[in-house]
Amino acid sequence: MDYLLNNSSADSAEATKFVKIRLDKEWYGIPIAIVENIVRMQRITRVPGSDFWIKGVINLRGKVVPVYSLRLKMGMEEGEELRSTRIIILRVDGDDVGMIVDEVREVVNVRNEDIEKMYYDSTNPYASYLYGVGKMGDDLITLLDMFEVLGVKVQMN
Amino acid sequence: MDVNQYLEIFIDEAGEHLENLNTQIMNLEQDGENMDTINEIFRAAHSLKGMSGTMGFKRMQTLTHDMENVFSEVRNGTVKVTTEMIDVLFRCLDALEEYVTNIRETADEGDNDNEALIKAVNDFLANAEGKESGENASPKDSASAQANEAPSEAPASDASAGSNDKHKWKEIKIGNVEKGAIEDAVKEGLHAYGISVYVQESCLLKAARAFLVFRAMEDLGEVVISVPSVQDIEDERFDKDFSVIYLTEEPLDKVLSAIKEVSEIEDAVGDKIDFSQTADGAQDGGEAKKDSASEADGNTQGNAQAQAAEKPQAKQPGAGQAKKAMGKPIVNRTVRVDIEKLDSLMNLVSELIISKNSLVSVAETEIGQSSLAFNEQIEYLESVTTSLHESVMKVRMVPIESVVTKFPRMIRDLSKKLDKKMELYMTGEDTELDRTVVDEIGDPLMHLLRNSADHGLESAEVRAKRGKPEVGSIFLDAYQDGNNVVIEVRDDGNGIDVEAVKKKAIEKGKITEEQAEAMTEKEAIDLLFQPSFSTAKQVSDVSGRGVGLDVVKSKIESLSGEVEVHTKLGEGSTFTIRLPLTLAIIQTLMVIVGGEKYAISLGSIQTIESIPISEVKTVQGKEVIYLRGNVIPLVRLTKELEVESMNAPDADLLILIAKKGDRYAGIVVDEMIGQMEIVIKSMGKYIGKSKLISGATILGNGEVALILDANALI
Repeated sequence: MDYLLNNSSADSAEATKFVKIRLDKEWYGIPIAIVENIVRMQRITRVPGSDFWIKGVINLRGKVVPVYSLRLKMGMEEGEELRSTRIIILRVDGDDVGMIVDEVREVVNVRNEDIEKMYYDSTNPYASYLYGVGKMGDDLITLLDMFEVLGVKVQMN
Repeated sequence: MDVNQYLEIFIDEAGEHLENLNTQIMNLEQDGENMDTINEIFRAAHSLKGMSGTMGFKRMQTLTHDMENVFSEVRNGTVKVTTEMIDVLFRCLDALEEYVTNIRETADEGDNDNEALIKAVNDFLANAEGKESGENASPKDSASAQANEAPSEAPASDASAGSNDKHKWKEIKIGNVEKGAIEDAVKEGLHAYGISVYVQESCLLKAARAFLVFRAMEDLGEVVISVPSVQDIEDERFDKDFSVIYLTEEPLDKVLSAIKEVSEIEDAVGDKIDFSQTADGAQDGGEAKKDSASEADGNTQGNAQAQAAEKPQAKQPGAGQAKKAMGKPIVNRTVRVDIEKLDSLMNLVSELIISKNSLVSVAETEIGQSSLAFNEQIEYLESVTTSLHESVMKVRMVPIESVVTKFPRMIRDLSKKLDKKMELYMTGEDTELDRTVVDEIGDPLMHLLRNSADHGLESAEVRAKRGKPEVGSIFLDAYQDGNNVVIEVRDDGNGIDVEAVKKKAIEKGKITEEQAEAMTEKEAIDLLFQPSFSTAKQVSDVSGRGVGLDVVKSKIESLSGEVEVHTKLGEGSTFTIRLPLTLAIIQTLMVIVGGEKYAISLGSIQTIESIPISEVKTVQGKEVIYLRGNVIPLVRLTKELEVESMNAPDADLLILIAKKGDRYAGIVVDEMIGQMEIVIKSMGKYIGKSKLISGATILGNGEVALILDANALI
């Protein structure tokens, strides 16, 4: 997902915008470039026979969009639905997909120099989902590589 | 006139007319006497001529004009339809298509005069002329005179040819009061005219045209009597003509030309009225006098003579008149819309439904409880948005007809070119697909048909040897099958020689001999779909260059469809294209299983049965029912979909009997909602492949319902 970062100018002070979301107690960042929309929790139609992390499909302005539980996908416990629960709609590789998250807080700028690449932990099956850690003052947010989460191989041109 | 803004419309319409001509000329070849076909051809050719003339495409106009002359002769019965003629006409169509292509690309028709073609066309006419040289009016001349008809000629020819029919004003009964008034007016130096006005048959707003005519006349004088009455005319209670008695200071010509200036007025004729019965020097006075005099005692001799003289020509003016009426095509009740506009319209409708849904939920909670009127309005809104949604969806669906109509012509051409006799049979042209898909399938189908014609069908000698009918058959069948549209291209030709395919593949180094040995027939046939693979012994300009089948395959796959081949050596092959109905509308049965709504394609359901639980038997541990002589295994949807049934265990079973091939299955559901037309929506790639679910749809209330693939259950 390197190419989603604004590092074209090779200026390490260049910043990339991330949508800051919460899963359980931790904060994560999703590059705003792939975020289409953020909607409230709504009626989800279950799809029998699908993977357990797929909660079903929703009607998003006339489009049928699959919705994942990002918690389940990341190997966490299923969380209960809160007032703050949102579905964040991503467009990756031309198709839309929704991710249920516990909270969407804000859009943050993370400078490239403040991104620390994650040490690859081969014992963690979800390690590849994690791109790095963004440092914002005292706050840390885990930057997610949604391409890995979705299993999409993106070819760079 | 700045024609550029009309260029797009011109190109579209020209394309449509050409397509129509193609089809109709094919029909003409089959049935050269069919007046409907001939008239339709005539109409299309005429419109084409008019359009190209308006746009200033002179070459196109000349060519269509000459073609029109031929059609005119065919219609008059002076020329018989021959194969040569059809050939020439088709070549004309090709030339016209070339003009249109040039226009599309460069906004200019190009400089190909197609003189040879025009000469060929005119030869037919010359022959026709030669045959009936004895007749007084050469049909060609009269036809072209009619076609070229300058406005100034019109009154003259009408006056001479149709005076008896056209001067309907003479039928007006003039009462004494009016007569007195007219006589007074004439004494004051006004002229009294009887005028009949003819509105074009294609005119849609006759009353409006008539109103304009009246206004034009009233600017110059005064209408004394009108038949039908002004009120009737205003209410459009008249056929296509009306007559007036009219007083004015102006000369007749000026009045008539003022009337003719009103658009869609086909003709206006008039004469001076003279009650004093004294000879009037005016050119048309004499006849008028005679006619008014003869009102009581029938036709005078002069009139009888005029009639007799007209007889041989009687057909001509009639034809001319009909042609003029057809000059403007019956207004198309369609509108061209950019597909992108439809997309955005559809998105807007979806948004509307969502916001309506939120309103509904508000109504259910707070305000709605207290206000009945609010609830009513919400319900109304609900039904309106639902129908709006449906309509917009349907707009996108078009029959594949627009693509396949050009094929009979293509096969005909191929038949000549390859010197093989063949016939194309098509069914299911009305099968509907989403517009975007329809636009794309033309080329793949064309490739398959060419393939069948060139590689599939054998030459006549071989066919005769094999005891097959001399004329080869190619079939193009389209139909809907569950959530797919299937298009089959079938021929009764040679079939695919699997060994020859393998040999060729080895020659080309695509496979080794060992591989070839191990290959199944299906795998071998799949080789055909590889790029630059052709088994044709020689490259013809029809096919055999090895582009084709691979293009077909990649095109169909890009539409998320698939191509299958079934073949039997010596008997023929079938290429089956299966296209998913993404965005397509299908008829489904909505059912409830474990509280969830599902749609099942109605096409796969044979009957619906309610069976007491006691009639369910088990065979080898599987539930079956015995229905009308068939043992049908049951499929419990609750189990397949991993939900709990809401029905009591001993309740009667609601069973949908589905059929796939010769196998049946009884699908057990909890409840049935009813039949519903739904739009299939793709669920995108992030849902993973599910065997049972073939897609989803959005119900009128915005809820998503899944579509069950009944075939996967059998």
